[in-house]
Amino acid sequence: MEFDTHFFNEFADIISQQDGYALGRTLSPDISNESLRRIFRSQNAHNVKNALKRGLQGNAALVGGLEHQEVQGWVDIYASYWNATGVLLTAREATGGTGKTSELVWTKVYEAWTELLNVLIRGYQNSGFEAWTIPCLYTVCKHLRVFAMQADEERNHSSAFDDTAAALQDDFDPETNKRQKLEDCARALSRVFMLCQTDRASLEESRKWGSYYIANLLLKTYFKLNSASLSKNILNSLRVGTRDMPKFSAFPKSQQVTFKYHEGVLAFLEENYVLAEECLTEAWNSCYVNAKKNKELILTYLIPCHLITSHTLPTKKLLEPFPRLQKLFLPLCRCIKRGELHKFDLALQEGEDEFVKRRIYLTLERGRDIALRNLLRKVFVARGFEEAKEGEKPARRTRVPVAEFAAAISLGSQEKIDNDEVECLLANMIYKNHMKGYISRQHGIVVLSKSGAFPGTGV
Amino acid sequence: MAPSQNPAQSKNDNVAEPKPDQQPTVEQKSAALEEDDEFEDFPVEDWEPEETEAANGSGAPQHLWEESWDDDDTSDDFSAQLKEELKKVEAAKKR
Repeated sequence: MEFDTHFFNEFADIISQQDGYALGRTLSPDISNESLRRIFRSQNAHNVKNALKRGLQGNAALVGGLEHQEVQGWVDIYASYWNATGVLLTAREATGGTGKTSELVWTKVYEAWTELLNVLIRGYQNSGFEAWTIPCLYTVCKHLRVFAMQADEERNHSSAFDDTAAALQDDFDPETNKRQKLEDCARALSRVFMLCQTDRASLEESRKWGSYYIANLLLKTYFKLNSASLSKNILNSLRVGTRDMPKFSAFPKSQQVTFKYHEGVLAFLEENYVLAEECLTEAWNSCYVNAKKNKELILTYLIPCHLITSHTLPTKKLLEPFPRLQKLFLPLCRCIKRGELHKFDLALQEGEDEFVKRRIYLTLERGRDIALRNLLRKVFVARGFEEAKEGEKPARRTRVPVAEFAAAISLGSQEKIDNDEVECLLANMIYKNHMKGYISRQHGIVVLSKSGAFPGTGV
Repeated sequence: MAPSQNPAQSKNDNVAEPKPDQQPTVEQKSAALEEDDEFEDFPVEDWEPEETEAANGSGAPQHLWEESWDDDDTSDDFSAQLKEELKKVEAAKKR
């Protein structure tokens, strides 16, 4: 693409067909160096605006299609895009080989791209751009985030720019400084989110159709910045606005699934496992069947969720395509199933770093209760049945000495534990409704319920 | 001339020295980036119900999850050990 007659005709076509995604593609930086060079060399800084103006205004097909101020808006946008292609080309050529340069070239790209976004926003605020053009916002916002991360990465790796400038300030915080551009990007994205959310045009012509795409970009950004509270603000804003929004199911599936994933993980982090499971299940069911990495991410949270809400474990079949998840969860699952408390503790320790990194440690830790439940259940089952009376079904022996439970609990670790401590664990199990019965302290036994001593487990 | 070059040289040495140290951190970071846990962009914007996980993948929900205990799995070492242990406790009580 270069700014010639061909481009002006193509632009006119897109405008007359109102093809938003095609229009968005004309602003993509995701093109070869060759293409960038061709665009950049087709104009010069002095002339670019005039050339664009002549080209767009002079195009017969466009006349009547766009208002004068709209045309002016697009002239500014493509001029800004043209400028960004030059900066991007320089950055790519500079970092092509070694990845190291003496200058912060990606910061410059980020700045040029921010300028493009600002001009684009103005197009909506002042030049009356219609809502069908919002894929332009998608393209520009999506790459703004990528450039922000590249700029941060470059600055953090560049020794020359380490902290000399920033350290001079009193309130210097190295952590914040590390993600300076990404934070700046988050602010820009939230402006775009408001631009979509606050559009009062009727639904068919509303920028509200852009809300979820931009919200998803924002959520991804906030996740990276570790800001759950800002993420919540986005969810709240969407929740409050639901009545004036198009139906959620009317949005493209990619947007639905991405949104449900983030909503689910947020609920998960707040320990609202019921809501988390609902969202993540929805994300799982609607997920594109070939998107393996995303499916893996959904399951990373859905599996611990299931453990808490329904005390169930993933089947082999579910984990089969995901070696990483097998490594992550199988050792724990095996211990839970067999009631091997000590090995469960070891497995939890073993995977601690990985679990903490994925923020599932605390949730998985609660799986210890299920492992304990299964261990106690094993004791109960192993004790077998009372002698059956004539014509009656044999009943399980429901009076279990505390000592037997104690022996089972310390079996794995070979560490003797106090009777008091055992009783405490048992009382907890009863309290959490994992086990039904009572402890008779003076006899040193647990009297278990004759009907369903371990609720939900068939005995 | 010579003395004025010396400081420049030693300066260069200083700059050069930390470099071997920096190398590994760069590698580490890019490794961390690779296994980044960000939800990815889908290859397509929208898809048909037939192309969803629910319609294809692992099939009915009952094939996804299983109970957390396993009564059939009594052959493992731990179960055998447990039975032994329980016998001991019972025997000790009878004595």
